[in-house]
Amino acid sequence: MHPPRLIRIVAPVLIGALALSACGSSSGSKASGKKTYTIAYQGPLSGDNAQLGINMDNGVKLAIEQAQAKGDLGFNLKFVDSDDVGDPAQSPAAAQKLIDDASVVAVVGPAFSGATNAAEPHFSDANLISVSPSATRADLTSNGFTSFVRVVTGDNIQGTKMADFVAKGLKSKTAYVVDDKSAYGAGLTKFVRDSLTTDGVTVKGEGLAPTKDYSAVATKAVASGADTVVYGGYYAEFALLTKALRTAGFKGKIISGDGSKDDQYITQGGAATDGAYLTCPCGGPVATTPAAQNFEKDYKAKYNAATGTYSAEAFDATNLIIAAMKTLGTDVTRAKVTAAVKATKDFAGVTHTITFNDKGEGGTGDIFVFQVKSGKIALLGKADELAK
Amino acid sequence: MCFTQSFWQLTVSGLALGSVYALIALGYTLVYGVLQLINFAHSEVFMLGGFGGLFVIRELGVSNPSAWVSVGLVVAGMLGGAFAGAGTAFALERVAYRPLRRRGAPRLAFLISAIGASLLLLNLAGKEFGRFNNTMPELYTSRKVFSVFGAQVTTNQIVVAGAALVMLIALDRIIAKTRLGMGIRSVAQDAEAASLMGVDIDKVITRTFVLGGLLGGAAGFLFGIQFGVQYNMGFSAGTKAFTAAVLGGIGNVRGAVFGGLLLGVSENLGVACIQSAWRDVIAFLILVLVLMIRPTGLFGERLGRSA
Repeated sequence: MHPPRLIRIVAPVLIGALALSACGSSSGSKASGKKTYTIAYQGPLSGDNAQLGINMDNGVKLAIEQAQAKGDLGFNLKFVDSDDVGDPAQSPAAAQKLIDDASVVAVVGPAFSGATNAAEPHFSDANLISVSPSATRADLTSNGFTSFVRVVTGDNIQGTKMADFVAKGLKSKTAYVVDDKSAYGAGLTKFVRDSLTTDGVTVKGEGLAPTKDYSAVATKAVASGADTVVYGGYYAEFALLTKALRTAGFKGKIISGDGSKDDQYITQGGAATDGAYLTCPCGGPVATTPAAQNFEKDYKAKYNAATGTYSAEAFDATNLIIAAMKTLGTDVTRAKVTAAVKATKDFAGVTHTITFNDKGEGGTGDIFVFQVKSGKIALLGKADELAK
Repeated sequence: MCFTQSFWQLTVSGLALGSVYALIALGYTLVYGVLQLINFAHSEVFMLGGFGGLFVIRELGVSNPSAWVSVGLVVAGMLGGAFAGAGTAFALERVAYRPLRRRGAPRLAFLISAIGASLLLLNLAGKEFGRFNNTMPELYTSRKVFSVFGAQVTTNQIVVAGAALVMLIALDRIIAKTRLGMGIRSVAQDAEAASLMGVDIDKVITRTFVLGGLLGGAAGFLFGIQFGVQYNMGFSAGTKAFTAAVLGGIGNVRGAVFGGLLLGVSENLGVACIQSAWRDVIAFLILVLVLMIRPTGLFGERLGRSA
């Protein structure tokens, strides 16, 4: 099996590299006297969990279009996206494509934690700011990346509050905690396991190799006598796991984090997903501010679809970059944009008011709990309040 | 825990998975039997079979079917999958193998041709059908039907294992009793002698590909019912099935079936007894151990002799 497997891996990489080098040569033009700068987006636009990436891609595109249409900028704005499939292995190449494009002055993304971890060293070297709407792994802001900030709350907080909800809100005695062993999934469940133990819940479970057939894992979970299954990972696998658990006769609660919170989870998991819980540092009660309502309306008008998970965060991240660029006047360089974005204070976004601390954390610390009810993801409330 | 509490449950779900492996493994083994060639593009036959079944089901567009309609849908989907698989296998033989055979190309060229065809089909499917998991519409509600030794058997498992069993028996009979089967066996034994005796080798080879494609395509649909259909589903399942074929003795039909079932069950037990992350480690560890002790596989190569 050695030669064919090697070729299966090497060939796509070679083809991909050729494709990238072919289209990485566009650069800033000087049409109409104004300079043109590009704000890029990096995230999964294909692959198993592409829907999350597309939600954000749409948000970024909308923000740039609106800013450009307003016409009060001292420069022209362009948009470009780079598909990393959410895969740490493909992320550095996707990032390099953006770094090589001289007109790119800021990046929204990367979307997934593993991909972010792999791309950030390159962004830091290039002094190209990346504002992630969704990469929640806790240590991304403490790994020494100099050009990374995020508008979303980290998994140290999501994991802890999710565990408190499982222990106190769901009154779990034994929890079966599994993850997909990705940078995001394993990172999240680490905090869940620790906090559950602190809360006096018996923790069982393991990291899972990604597969399609979770029946053996489901059998194990049922046999463990757990009353709750916690999953750290993305919706495509969580949907299959949920189906397998219900087929195996698991009667307890099922809960996962923000990576699983998308309608695709219900589409792919079917009726088995009914009653499942999801947490997210996103998607709180829809803000009643005119800006937030306009965003929902404009998004719907442009894409003929409701906003998805992290669309609004991506929209905020983009507008925050544009606001920072405005303060620079005509002197826009990567280094200056990086400094200006990191210094953001009290930026009024549609999700929340964003201020980056010295680590680059711009989230509120609020975690929301959702439940699948008759085919829809319904908001239950703040995790803190449900865990009392 | 794994050998006491859940042993039978794990065995049942392992057999259901293993019967899909077995169906794919037959495609490898049949082609190897007549050509001494590993058809690495067979994983894509499986994948396109899944899509064939999916499109038939979508086209029929029935929701909340009654029991008999469900049976009809499963049969229609399997036929759709089988024909898509057979068509793919037929095209592969014509485009990727026959021209090479005509020119007497070296073995390595066949291998490269197979891998090229596999990558082409894989990426084409990704482009055409999207790189996400396409969920099959619900054909029936999968629920517990009966128990054996405390293990619950679900509708899904019965459909998959039952359909696989029917096809396996049919294939066994075809090879043992029909003219085509005799042709396949004779080519496997000694292609030159068979040709001298009036066997049309080209025809036998084409039909062998089609036969393997029918089984692999139907397997794609059966897999899709449970886990959805995705452009890259063939890689993992195809590798496992190839392992199963080698495990049982490549070229040996009954060996491939046994290898598939053994692999499915041992994978499941490995997940439960050790850890989920060991799933693939176990599968290939078994392969290496068996080959160390019996290089020709558990049952040896014997398509040539009457199965």
